[in-house]
Amino acid sequence: MLSKYNISQERNTTSLFGKVDMVALGLYLALVVAGIVCIVSASYNEEVGSAFSLQHNYMKQIVWGGISMIFALVVLLLDRRLFHMFAYPAYIAGIGVLIAVLLFGREVNGAKAWFEFGGVRIQPVEFAKIATAMMMAKVMSDYSFNIRRLPDLVKVGLVIGIPLGIIILQNDTGSGLVLCSFLFVLYREGISKYIYFPIIFTVALFITSFIFTPVVIFTTLLILFTLYSAYKTWAWSVHIRFLALVLLAALLLSLLTSLSGYASLMVACSIAAVVLMGVALKTRTMVLIWPIMMFVYAMIFVPTCDYLFTKLEPHQQNRILTFVGMKEDPKGIDFNVNQSQIAIGSGGLTGKGFMDGTQIKYGFVPEKHTDFIFCVVGEEWGFMGTLTIIALYIALIMRLMKMGERIKEPFGRVYCYSVAAILLFHVWVNVGMTIGLMPVMGIPLPLMSYGGSSLVAFTILIMIAIRLDASTDDQSIYMK
Amino acid sequence: MRSGGHISSLHGHLRIVVCIIAAVLVGRLFYVQIIDGKYDALAESNIMRPEIEYPMRGEVVDRHGEPLIRSRVCYDVMVVWDNLPKSGFDSLHLISILDIPIEKLRREMRRAKQAPHSPHLVVGYLPQDAKLILDESGFDGFYTRFRTAREYPRKIGGNLLGYVSEISEEQLKKWRNYAAGDYVGVGGIESYYEADLRGEKGVSYRIRDTRGAVKGAYDGGANDLLPEKGKRIVSTIDGRLQEFAEELMVGKIGSVVAIEPSTGEILVMVSSPTYNPDLMVGRQRGNNYSEMLHNQRKPQYSRAIKENYPPGSTFKLVQGLIGLQEGVLTPSQRYECNQGFHYGVGSHARRQKCHVHRNNLNLREAVAHSCNAYFCYVFKNIITNRKYGNVKEGMRKWNEYVYSFGFGHKLGVDLYGEYGGYVPTPEHLDEVNGRYWNWGTVLSCAIGQGEMAATPLQMANLAATIANRGYYYTPHIVRSVEGRDSLDKRFYERHYTMVDSVHFETIIDGMWMSVNKEGTSRLAYLKGWDVCGKTGTAQHDRKKPDKSSSYSDHSAFISFAPRNNPQIAIAVYIEHGGWGSSAAVPIASLIEEMYLTDTITRPELVDRMMNLSLDYGYYDVRQDKYDAERAANDAK
Repeated sequence: MLSKYNISQERNTTSLFGKVDMVALGLYLALVVAGIVCIVSASYNEEVGSAFSLQHNYMKQIVWGGISMIFALVVLLLDRRLFHMFAYPAYIAGIGVLIAVLLFGREVNGAKAWFEFGGVRIQPVEFAKIATAMMMAKVMSDYSFNIRRLPDLVKVGLVIGIPLGIIILQNDTGSGLVLCSFLFVLYREGISKYIYFPIIFTVALFITSFIFTPVVIFTTLLILFTLYSAYKTWAWSVHIRFLALVLLAALLLSLLTSLSGYASLMVACSIAAVVLMGVALKTRTMVLIWPIMMFVYAMIFVPTCDYLFTKLEPHQQNRILTFVGMKEDPKGIDFNVNQSQIAIGSGGLTGKGFMDGTQIKYGFVPEKHTDFIFCVVGEEWGFMGTLTIIALYIALIMRLMKMGERIKEPFGRVYCYSVAAILLFHVWVNVGMTIGLMPVMGIPLPLMSYGGSSLVAFTILIMIAIRLDASTDDQSIYMK
Repeated sequence: MRSGGHISSLHGHLRIVVCIIAAVLVGRLFYVQIIDGKYDALAESNIMRPEIEYPMRGEVVDRHGEPLIRSRVCYDVMVVWDNLPKSGFDSLHLISILDIPIEKLRREMRRAKQAPHSPHLVVGYLPQDAKLILDESGFDGFYTRFRTAREYPRKIGGNLLGYVSEISEEQLKKWRNYAAGDYVGVGGIESYYEADLRGEKGVSYRIRDTRGAVKGAYDGGANDLLPEKGKRIVSTIDGRLQEFAEELMVGKIGSVVAIEPSTGEILVMVSSPTYNPDLMVGRQRGNNYSEMLHNQRKPQYSRAIKENYPPGSTFKLVQGLIGLQEGVLTPSQRYECNQGFHYGVGSHARRQKCHVHRNNLNLREAVAHSCNAYFCYVFKNIITNRKYGNVKEGMRKWNEYVYSFGFGHKLGVDLYGEYGGYVPTPEHLDEVNGRYWNWGTVLSCAIGQGEMAATPLQMANLAATIANRGYYYTPHIVRSVEGRDSLDKRFYERHYTMVDSVHFETIIDGMWMSVNKEGTSRLAYLKGWDVCGKTGTAQHDRKKPDKSSSYSDHSAFISFAPRNNPQIAIAVYIEHGGWGSSAAVPIASLIEEMYLTDTITRPELVDRMMNLSLDYGYYDVRQDKYDAERAANDAK
């Protein structure tokens, strides 16, 4: 093995492995091994004779681990330029496969997102992530690329948006949302911060629209925006009078006409918005324009959101409702989350020990070897275990970000950040879901969840980053 | 723009974002795993399935140790809807094992579906062999639960022993230490001694998986409790004699109560009609029960302790004893009987009728011949005694005497629902007659008619009291309970009457004469046993529907034997049995003979009495009316 010493010496060894980031590789291997240990616990079945029988899921995962090592080796041996060249074809192929799976794929748990070849299931979206990451890197490392230019921004939007759209059509929303993690990368590449305001605003509206009635939301927004504007202009009396006028108008409308309170408020606000917009444009009071536009956006978004919600499948509706705390049903839809929390919570500080997790062993945790593998960590290894695993992930993510900074060429940096963002999103959503912080979305815990295609895909994803990092010193010609 | 401080600040921002996300996750994990302790208990309750283990109910044996009630093993078949195989199961095979109709299975499955996680009782009383077949057949989702069912080797004493039934909702609310599905004794010994018979439930904690399959003992079974068998109860009943008495009472409505005078132990207690107690066990119980419920002869009704009958002439013994004690009567006193007791003048003239018998009798002969007029004189003399000033006070004194013989109040037998009979009090008479009443108003009490009412148990207790020459023990049906040194102390106390024991010999002379020399009870004669007895032919107010005439009188007889050191005191009361001597005497005599000698010397009499089926027009009319009403209700 090559020591850290070599790496620190400007990686001037000719051997490829001398330049490989051993920390990232070590973290990667640690997580894969931890995953296999947990899968042993989750899937050991006494009824199967031999402990080494391939009927055990953990034996299959070990085999997949071996296959992943081969892929890792191949990736590390490839010339880095190949990745630049492969970006377009890989992306196009990825889109093609996504469309193919939409047409010919197999439906599992309501999502038409799987191919099945002789008993092996493959979820193409795992590989589409790699392709998209490479495509992002390719597009954003283009010589003339400037993220602050609208056409370039649109280009990036398309790179993310096309696979996202197809994935959502597959009814695999969870995996689709992974692509949103590229916002992380865009931030690093210096995208205008104002793009985050509407996103945060939209998410906030989305969540509150389930908790509060529209009347409450709009009244609150109206008051908030008016106060903001009053604060900015320091013309308090005008704003208070305006606010009173609008609310009074809404009240009168609802009392004197047959309109409901909600409709009255909408009418009053619409008129006020139009009038105010006119005033703002005429007097060139720019500070008014943003609040008005956001308010109008909310007036369109909230009803649309309600309408779309009714179009969702009942189980998806329920997941969202339980997540925002609108439904309490320990034996029903919330069952998975409750059971996984019970498993993790009962682990305590040090856990119940390897193979001794009762909730795991007796089947109370659903999907325990795939999406809920983190419960095994929580129950059997306790808080020490969960803390260690989170630390490993965060270390890997930080390492990838550091590698991204270290790589001088933008392609490598964007790619490394993309990988970090994907990992971060997966860990956040998956672990969050097992402890009730996030709604249940069927996305795996990277490297640890049982599943061959997922393990292979994440291996390739990470190994490309390591490979790109390993070639830092001979890339000057690509530098911008 | 991608150089210098700006870039590293972007990098720094994102590092902070990663750290915040990590902190939120770790913080939440810290809360769930370390701070919030509720998950341990939830995890335990997930995997732990407390399984109730039902105890064997205590058995009941007769005074000779022969079993009256036994417990046999059977199984409840339970189902958990969630655990049923998705592919369904072979319901035809299942119903053939369980021996139930398919509709029943469908109905139970529908109910099981309403609470899919919890066990639901499909059917009970599955015999051992069927249970083994069910186990072998491996129906997923179904399992069996150990229970016990009652069985009755002699098939006797349905309304005496009681039965066992699943606890009702009302009982559950009252009794905290029961749970739904528990069995509880209803009626008779089963009910009164429920606390002894039920035993203690056990519990075993099992580890189960999410499908409810048991995976082994929890914590090595350290917290398990074994069920504790119910206590064995020795009854005072003589099983063979009870069976014999029940056979004799077939076709008659009424009651037989026999008591061992020296202890107050009840040897026989028949309420006829009775029923085979096995009918109240098993799957047909519901049907059998409702059939009995609709039977107007009320086979489940314990007439022996619940029916208030006019005691009739048997009550003359009490009258005579009180007269002797009060000094208004001497054994040699003679009274005329002109086919009755004549009183009142003019248009108020009344007569208390009497049957034809030798005239001008003394006390002994009056007892033997059951002269009505004689005891009317006695009764009149008691309550009009100048010593007490007026009739009301005289009546009050008489009341006290009668109470001391165990009439007018509950005796305190160890059975629930006992009635106390009725003795008219001066206050009651005031209320009914508006204070204008005299000895003539209550004269029918002299001969145990009118407002006088007593249960067969009280009549048997009278026989025992006379046999004991003046005291009785509270009659009881249980001799001993396993694990208890003694019964309630009330069963060991002598209750003395207000009449001195010397006066009893005269009355016993009369009773002896009645059986052995001349009188109404000659059929009760048993050679060498000095049987003493007193018949009763009680009138009642059960009119025929046409109101023109009544049904036959009730036939009553109380007796004890032998005269010295009595071993058995008995009361037989047969509704509409006619003269005391025609139905009650032979039955009582046969039971006495059986008890005293273990043999039957008069098989033809046994045959005759067993086959005697009385005509119960009174009940038939009621039954017809009831059925018609039911049919009308059903039609609605």
